[in-house]
Amino acid sequence: MLKSLIYIFCFLFLGELIHYFFNIPIAGNIIGMLLIFLALFFKMIKLEDVKPASDFLVKYLVVFFIPYGVGLMVYANLIAEYWIPVSVAVILSTLLSLYATGAIYQKLDKK
Amino acid sequence: MKEFLALPIFGVTLTLLVYFLSGKLKEKLDLVIFNRVLVSVILIVAVLLNFNIDFETYNNGAKYISFFLGPSVVALGVFLYEKLEEVKRDLKVFLISVIIGGIVGIISVIIILVLFNAPEIISRSLAAKSVTTPIAIEITKITEGIPEITAGIVIITGILGNAFGPIVLKKMGVKNKKAVGTALGTSAHGIGTARAFEISASAGTFSGLAMCFNGIITALLAPYILDWLLSFA
Repeated sequence: MLKSLIYIFCFLFLGELIHYFFNIPIAGNIIGMLLIFLALFFKMIKLEDVKPASDFLVKYLVVFFIPYGVGLMVYANLIAEYWIPVSVAVILSTLLSLYATGAIYQKLDKK
Repeated sequence: MKEFLALPIFGVTLTLLVYFLSGKLKEKLDLVIFNRVLVSVILIVAVLLNFNIDFETYNNGAKYISFFLGPSVVALGVFLYEKLEEVKRDLKVFLISVIIGGIVGIISVIIILVLFNAPEIISRSLAAKSVTTPIAIEITKITEGIPEITAGIVIITGILGNAFGPIVLKKMGVKNKKAVGTALGTSAHGIGTARAFEISASAGTFSGLAMCFNGIITALLAPYILDWLLSFA
């Protein structure tokens, strides 16, 4: 577990480092995610070396963003003021994205 | 008392305890609306408001929990690698669908907000609304929106997709299970994926992968699409 956690942290560190020094408009943790994927893909690291910590983190992913959800209370007034455009945008856009993805997949899959 | 509550242990314990209790509730009443994150957030906000505790005080501890968002995004890279094998045969169709669906999601939410004349800060906070929360939060930091608004809306988007996604797709004639899974993961991230797993294991896997890929696509494209569309506003 500890070894796999160190691996995860090292990739995160590397991602943050690249983000910081090269000023790329992609977050450090997303760079870290791409790097660990590539490292696994090109067999530079072994799956079993990173799996224990990564399974744990993915399993409890939802817990880690609860504080951000609570933080919404600070902006309740802003959301309340614009609740109509926000609701329309979120509902329509979710349905459009859902349908576009599903319909295209189904159409291409038949060929 | 204020000083005591400002100790990190308060925010940490409250968050974990409430999350645990939300699981008990979900066991008793298995409805989409009792989504564990939603229930946890509402309960914590209720506790804070009731005892007149401000968010900053709570966050003294809660920030140690949100810290783990960073490593968990890296962990999604491991998940991606592990599951990629299962879509290899359908990779091309899968990628084209996720890329188009993902872009449709970003463009449509911004255009609707711009048409309503909503403030720019809201568009900047919602551009990443379809992707998994930890990635969406990071994207919003880069697009200079408000991450807390992103987190709240992303959770609501997920619940929408979870509750109505399969029925809408069915009505629109999308029946292919892989297509349904891919659509749920692209538009409604992890909460949609939970629903896809109820349909079938392969729908769930496609959904989880679509969630990861759309996270990457949105991270790469959202900042540029946003600037481009806002330049017309």
